[in-house]
Amino acid sequence: MSKSKSKEIIKEFEPELLVFCCNWCSYAGADLAGVSRFQYPPNIRIIRVMCSGRVDPSFVLKALKDGADGVLISGCHIGDCHYISGNEYTRDRFDRLHSIIIQQLGIDPKRVRLEWVSASEGKRFAEVITEFTNEIKELGPLKLQ
Amino acid sequence: MEGSVLVIGGGIAGIQTSLDLTELGFKVYLVEKTPSIGGRMAQLDKTFPTNDCSLCILAPKMVEVGRNPNIELMTYHEVLEIAGEAGNFTVKILKKPRYVDESKCKGCGDCASKCPKIEVPRLFDMNLGKRKSIYIPFPQAVPPVYVIDPELCLKITKGVCGVCQKVCKADAIDYEQKPIEFEIKVGAIVVATGFDMYGEELSKRWGYQYENVVNALEYERILCASGPYEGHVLRPSDKEEPRNIAFIQCAGSRDRQEDVPYCSSVCCMYTAKEAIITKEHSENSECYVFRHDLRAYGKNFYEYTQRAQDEYGVTYFQTKISKIIEDSKTNDLVIHYENLQTGKIETFKANLVVLASPLVPKKDSKELAKILGIELDKYGFFKEQSYYNKSKASKKGIFLSGFAQGPMDIPETVAGSSGVASEIATLLSSEKFSNTEEKIIETPEKEVKPSDEPRIGVLICHCGINIGKYVDVPKVVEKINKLPNVTHCEDNMYSCSSDSQERIKEMIKEYNLNRFIVASCTPRTHEPLFQETCEEAGLNKYLFEMVNIRDQCSWVHMKEKEAATQKAEDLIRMAVSKARLLKPQNEENLKIEPSALVIGGGISGMTAALNIANQGFEVHLVEKEEELGGILNNLYELFPNEDKASDFLVENIEKVENHKKIKTYLHSKIKDIKGYIGNYNISLSTLDNDKLELKVGTIIVATGAQELKPEGNFLYSDENPKIMTQLELEQKLTKDGDKWLKDIKRITTILCVNSRQKEGITYCSNICCSVALKNIRILKEMKPNLEMIVLYRDLQMAKKEFEDFYRERRQDAMFIRYSLNNLPSIEKKNNNYHINVINTNLQQELEFDTDLIILTTPLIPEDNMDELAKMLKVPLDGTGFFLEAHVKLRPLDFATDGIFLCGCAQWPKNIQDSISQANGAAGRASRFLSAGEITTSGLISEVNEALCIGCGKCEEVCPYQAVELREIEKTFEDITISIKKSYVNSALCKGCGTCGATCPVGAISVKHYDFDQIGVMIDSYLLEKTQAE
Ligand code: FES
Repeated sequence: MSKSKSKEIIKEFEPELLVFCCNWCSYAGADLAGVSRFQYPPNIRIIRVMCSGRVDPSFVLKALKDGADGVLISGCHIGDCHYISGNEYTRDRFDRLHSIIIQQLGIDPKRVRLEWVSASEGKRFAEVITEFTNEIKELGPLKLQ
Repeated sequence: MEGSVLVIGGGIAGIQTSLDLTELGFKVYLVEKTPSIGGRMAQLDKTFPTNDCSLCILAPKMVEVGRNPNIELMTYHEVLEIAGEAGNFTVKILKKPRYVDESKCKGCGDCASKCPKIEVPRLFDMNLGKRKSIYIPFPQAVPPVYVIDPELCLKITKGVCGVCQKVCKADAIDYEQKPIEFEIKVGAIVVATGFDMYGEELSKRWGYQYENVVNALEYERILCASGPYEGHVLRPSDKEEPRNIAFIQCAGSRDRQEDVPYCSSVCCMYTAKEAIITKEHSENSECYVFRHDLRAYGKNFYEYTQRAQDEYGVTYFQTKISKIIEDSKTNDLVIHYENLQTGKIETFKANLVVLASPLVPKKDSKELAKILGIELDKYGFFKEQSYYNKSKASKKGIFLSGFAQGPMDIPETVAGSSGVASEIATLLSSEKFSNTEEKIIETPEKEVKPSDEPRIGVLICHCGINIGKYVDVPKVVEKINKLPNVTHCEDNMYSCSSDSQERIKEMIKEYNLNRFIVASCTPRTHEPLFQETCEEAGLNKYLFEMVNIRDQCSWVHMKEKEAATQKAEDLIRMAVSKARLLKPQNEENLKIEPSALVIGGGISGMTAALNIANQGFEVHLVEKEEELGGILNNLYELFPNEDKASDFLVENIEKVENHKKIKTYLHSKIKDIKGYIGNYNISLSTLDNDKLELKVGTIIVATGAQELKPEGNFLYSDENPKIMTQLELEQKLTKDGDKWLKDIKRITTILCVNSRQKEGITYCSNICCSVALKNIRILKEMKPNLEMIVLYRDLQMAKKEFEDFYRERRQDAMFIRYSLNNLPSIEKKNNNYHINVINTNLQQELEFDTDLIILTTPLIPEDNMDELAKMLKVPLDGTGFFLEAHVKLRPLDFATDGIFLCGCAQWPKNIQDSISQANGAAGRASRFLSAGEITTSGLISEVNEALCIGCGKCEEVCPYQAVELREIEKTFEDITISIKKSYVNSALCKGCGTCGATCPVGAISVKHYDFDQIGVMIDSYLLEKTQAE
C-alpha cells in the first residue's frame, strides 16, 4: 500500500522515521535522554531489540518499502556489546546493506544510518535524532521507484 | 547458624558479593550509607583498558540487585552495633529518614523540579554539578527514590514551603519521618566500603586549592556525558575548553610526607584512559602526563599506555613535581618540576591540571572497625587475616571485599568479591537456602493456543503528570480501544503501584484477556514487575508487552502535545500488533551434575578444588605433572613474607589429599570434553587408565603459566651458568643453599628481560619486579656484604605493602634505570661479565663488572593451551592466555556458561591474587552446583529444520557456542544420508538474535523478536496510521 503525502508536504514535511535500539546501551541512552529531559523531534518510533545484531537487513528494507523516510540502527559502541560481538556483525552487515540501498534501490545512503550510543550518552542520543530528522527533512520524502 | 549475610557497602564490591551470595543460597542485607547503590564505579565515565562505558555495564547489575527477592536493599542505612560470633551475629542498624516514603515514591522527579530551594553542589558529580534540596543522587539510582536533605529543606528547617508535598501525586513526602533502629541476625558480615580520593587533604604544593586543579574523580565527572558539563571538557573557572591539560601522577601517593606511603595502584591506568578520552572529546587539546614509574601490569595495560602515546599523541614526561602555582590573571597553572631525564628544574604552563591523588580508606573506616571489632593495617585499610588470604578480616566470620582491604582495580575487586561469597558459602554451607525465598506462583497458567483469538488488555499510565501533562492520555485510550483485538483499554495514575498490580490481575480475569500491554515508563526497569503480575494472574509472562511513552515520549517532547500524543498512540498500536503474535514460552529446568572438574593442580587449582569440596561437592582435580603444586615447586621463599615455599605447599597438598570429596589424577591429561553446562562428559588419560570417563557439572581452568627462558638474549645459554633466570636462582637456592655464593661479590639483576617490548612480548608480566626484589632480600640476608645492582625500567610495586618493601630494598641495592631504546649490553670476561648501561635518569653511561647476572623474564602461557581451548570451546587472547568473558565485570567467567577461569592461566599474578581468584572461580562455579538446576530463558533462538541449509553461518557468529551444526540422518525411500542442520542449545543461548539476522534463508527465529513480530510493528506504524485516520 502506498501513501499519499502530497498534503503534508505543503504544510511542512514531517518525516516518518524508524529507529532500532539495542536493549543494553542505545535504548538505555534513549531513556537517559528522557530522564534528563533532552528534547528532540517527535518523528521517530523506536523498536527495541535485545542486540543491534538482531537487526536483519530485511527489517530495514521492509520499513523503506512501507514508506519510512529513514531508518536508524543504534547499538552499543564497538567493544561494549552486551553479547560480546553482536554489534560487529551489525556493522559488517550494515556496510553490505548500504551498498544494496544505493546501488539497487537508488536511495540516498543518508536515509539509513548506523550510530553507536552508550547508556550514558543521553545528550548524544537526542543530538543524533535531531540531526537525523533534520537531514531527512532536507532530503524530503522518500519516493521509491 | 544463620543463612543470611550482611554486606556493608553498595559499590561494585558489595553488589558482586551480594549477587553471588544469593545465587549460592543466602539471603543478603545490603546496607549502603548513601541513598543509592553504585558506589565509585557509577561515577566513572569509562573503564580501562577497553573504554567500556562504566554505567552501561554497571547499571544492569544495580537493577538486578534492586529486584533480587533475596537481597534486602537498605540504602541510607548505617550499621550501629554488632554482637555475637561467626555464624550468629546480631546487628543493630539505623535507618536514616529520607522524608520520602520509599514504598510510594515513583522517582518521577516532579518534586525536585518544583523545589524552590537554591541549588547546592551535587556530591555525585564531586560537587561540580548542582542539585536541589530534594534530589536523587543520579538518574540511574537504585532504588529510584528521592531524598530530602534535611539541612537545606525549608519545610524541615523553617516550617515554610512544603511545595514538594503539594506536587507529589503519589503522596510520598513525609516531613515527619524519624530515624529508626532495628536488629537483624546474620551468619557472616562483609565489609565492602570502598575508598575516598584526596582533594583538600593534600598539602598545598599540589595546588588543589586552585579552581582549575581537579582530582581524577572530579575529572571523571567532567568527562562523563551525563556529568555536570555534559561531557564537554571544560575547566571549572571559566567553562572554557582547556588547551593544555596536565595529568600529575603519584600526586601524594608513594609519599610519606602526605602520609600515603603506598601506591594507589590504579592511577597510571586511569590517567592513560582519561587522557585518551580527553583527546577523543576535544581534538585540539594537548595532554601531558607527568609520571614517575609507569605501573601498568594487567592484561593489555602496558600496551594501552603505549597506545595513548603512539596513537593519541599523549606526551609523557618523567618528572618529580615540586609545586603547582596559579597564575592569578589567567587562572592557568604553572607546574614546577625536576626533569628526571636531565636532572634540570623546569616549569610547564597548563590550563587545567588533573591530580592522580591518593586513594585512601573511607573516612569512617576507623569507626566501623571499632563497631565490628576488627583491625586496620598501618595504612588504615581493613587488615586481612593473612597475606595469602586477603578476603578474611581479623575476626572470624567477617570478610573483606574490594578497595576496603587495599588498592585494587575493578576486575580484582569483582574476582575477590566472588571469592568472598564462596568463602562464606563454605563457612555457612549447612545453611544454604535456609533463609532464602523463592517466589512460587500459585495460579495455574492458562492455556493460550495460537488459534485462540487474541484478547488484548492495555493499561496506559499517566505517571502522575509525567505522561499525562504532555500526552493526551484519554484520547489515546479512545483510539486504542477501537483497535481490533483490543478487548479493553484504560488509563490510571501510577501503573507500578501495588493497587495497580491488583487492577491488572482483575482486568485479566474480568475480560478473559490472553495478552497484556502496559504503556508507561521503561521496560528496562519495570518489565519484570508487570510480567510477574501477569504470571500471578495465570498469564504466561511472554504474553506481556511494554511500551515506553514516558522516557522516550512525553519527557522528550514536552512542548509538542499533539505530536507526542500521536507518537504514544503509534507506539501502543505497534505493540498491539506485536501482541497479537505473541506466543507463550517455556522456561526449562536443566539438572546440574553436582561435581566439578578442575584442570591444573597448582595453588589456584588446589584452592578452587578445596573450596568447592568444602561446600560439599565432588571435585576431580587433574594435573599433568607427577606432583601437585605447579610453579610453587620451584620457589624458594614466598613474597613478601619469609615463608618457605615448600612449607606452604606441603600444607596445601595435605589438605587436598586428605579431602574425601577431592579425587586427584596426577600425570593425567584431558583427551576430550563433550557437553554443556551441567552435563559435561570428560575423557581423561591417567597413569593407569588411558580412557577414564567422568561426568561433571562445571569446569574450572587453572592451568597456570611458565617462566620464559630468554634463549640467546643477554648471553643466556648453557655455556653461561652464571647468567640465570629468577626461577633458576630459586631452584639453586633450594638445592644448594648459600654455599655457592662464596666467591660472588657483585650480582646484577636485570628487569623486563624480553617483556614490555615493541614486538614479541609486549606486555608487563605483573609479578617479576616483586620476585626480583624478594630474591634481592634473600641473597642479601644470606650474604650481607654482597653488592647488588638492579637494572630496571619501571618498578611495578603496586600493592599496598609492596612500596614499603621496595623502599627497604633501596638500602640493599643500587637501582639504575635503563630504557627500551638503550638496552644494557653484556660482555663475557674471564671469570665474570662486563656490563655497559646508560642510566636514563642522568643520561650517563655506566660500566662495571659483575659475577652473576639474574634475568627477570615474564611468565608466558603454558604449552598446548590452544588444544585445551579448542576442547573447551573457549577463546585465548592475543598473548595466548585464556580470555575471560568481560575484562571488568566477568574476570573469572568464560562467555560460555559453566566454564570458569583463575590464576595465571588468565594472566600472570602472584599467590595472593591467585588464591583470591581461585576462590572466586570456585564460587562462580558452585552457584550452579548449589542450585542443582538452571532455568533457561524463554527468549532464545529456534531453528526451523526444514528451512536450514546447514551453512553454519549461525554457528560462526554465536559468541556463546550455543548454536552448532549437527549431523542428522535423513531417509528418503531406501537411501539414508547424513546432512547438517543447525541446532540451538537452550541452556547456552542468551537470545541476542544475531544468528537470526545472519541466517541467509530465514531459518532461525528469535522468540519474542521474530520476523513477523517486528514486521507487523513496522507495518503498523507506517501503513495502519493512514488507515486509522
Ligand atoms: S547489546 Fe547493544 S549492540 Fe549488542
